[in-house]
Amino acid sequence: MTALTNVVSSVLMLVGALFCLLAGVGVLRFPDAICRLHAAAKAQTLGVVLILLGTELQVSVKFAWALLLVAVFQLITVPVTGQVVGRTAYRTGEIYRPGLVMDELADRLAADARRESGEPAEPREDAQERGNG
Amino acid sequence: MNVVFALTLIMLSVSALLTLVRLVRGPSVLDRIVSLDVLVTLIVSALAVHVAANDAGRSVPLLLVLALLGFIGSVTAAHLVGEREDIR
Amino acid sequence: MTLRYLVQPLWLLLLWLMLWGSVSAVVLIGGLAVVIAVRAAFRMPAVDLRVTLRPLRLIGLFWHLLIQLVSSATSVAWAAIRHGGHVPAAVMEVPLEEDSDVIIAATVFFTAMSPGSLVLEIDRERRVLYVHGLPAGTRAEAERRRRSVRQAERATVSALKEAPKEAPK
Repeated sequence: MTALTNVVSSVLMLVGALFCLLAGVGVLRFPDAICRLHAAAKAQTLGVVLILLGTELQVSVKFAWALLLVAVFQLITVPVTGQVVGRTAYRTGEIYRPGLVMDELADRLAADARRESGEPAEPREDAQERGNG
Repeated sequence: MNVVFALTLIMLSVSALLTLVRLVRGPSVLDRIVSLDVLVTLIVSALAVHVAANDAGRSVPLLLVLALLGFIGSVTAAHLVGEREDIR
Repeated sequence: MTLRYLVQPLWLLLLWLMLWGSVSAVVLIGGLAVVIAVRAAFRMPAVDLRVTLRPLRLIGLFWHLLIQLVSSATSVAWAAIRHGGHVPAAVMEVPLEEDSDVIIAATVFFTAMSPGSLVLEIDRERRVLYVHGLPAGTRAEAERRRRSVRQAERATVSALKEAPKEAPK
């Protein structure tokens, strides 16, 4: 184990741990579940991947592949957790509305509800046309 | 190198503490699911540091299992919350 | 038997080899047995793989992904420190152009990786994603996030799908 790999893996680990720490701050401070999910999905994921890469340099090749798998799993599971938790959070009303600048999903759901109850669809449509253009 | 490991573990512990506060405070089940997910990932990170520090390659399968369990756990729990609230 | 049917078993075998971290006759034969057993026990639906891989673009995409992950983690960490409990957010509607499961899944993945956006809901029938942007203080910022999701889709398409003019025949 050369000095160079030690330095590189130290930097990776420390930066990774810093991102984990900031993710913890985000989870604690953000106003609703979906925002906290952002901290978990990005900062925490980058943190754990960096730490795993740092570890990668310190272990023998035999275990390096399995560690790489852990990092890959962490990465590919992010969008799935994000979508499942995010969708449930939105649908159960766990969203901090005062913090929202715009909410086009609410518009869409309202339009759907109107259509199902047989009322004519109206002004919202042009807003959606603009979105398509 | 030992200083680096110690610093890393300290930062991870502080983060785990912050996450624990959120876990206790909630307020909703989903907040707790997110904090638990983060907590499991923090444990995975700390285990990775242990692997590096003690050359404990044998603990790698543990990492793999924890990472997958954390994912499956949070997705299942979130799904159950959705079912209970009868969405769609 | 085209390559399509071999993708899944080969991936499973590779996974097995990575778990063991070595390639010996025992591991290889054991892996083959496990793959066959898993395939027999769990009938997985065939993935709609009507896409063409372009390796060079794919590598470029992964490099892009790495940079994206770093910048998105930085932006969310900064938001946690700067805004904390009063972070402004937005939910945007992003219509997609492609109608392939693989491309939509990849787009969702890259959106989750790109700074400040997370997919909340996938409307598969209408081919629309609903994206949560954070931080998004103004409408202009939200529009910028919307554009970046579209860009993610285009990048995915350019890596996974052959342009019509380059297609054989």
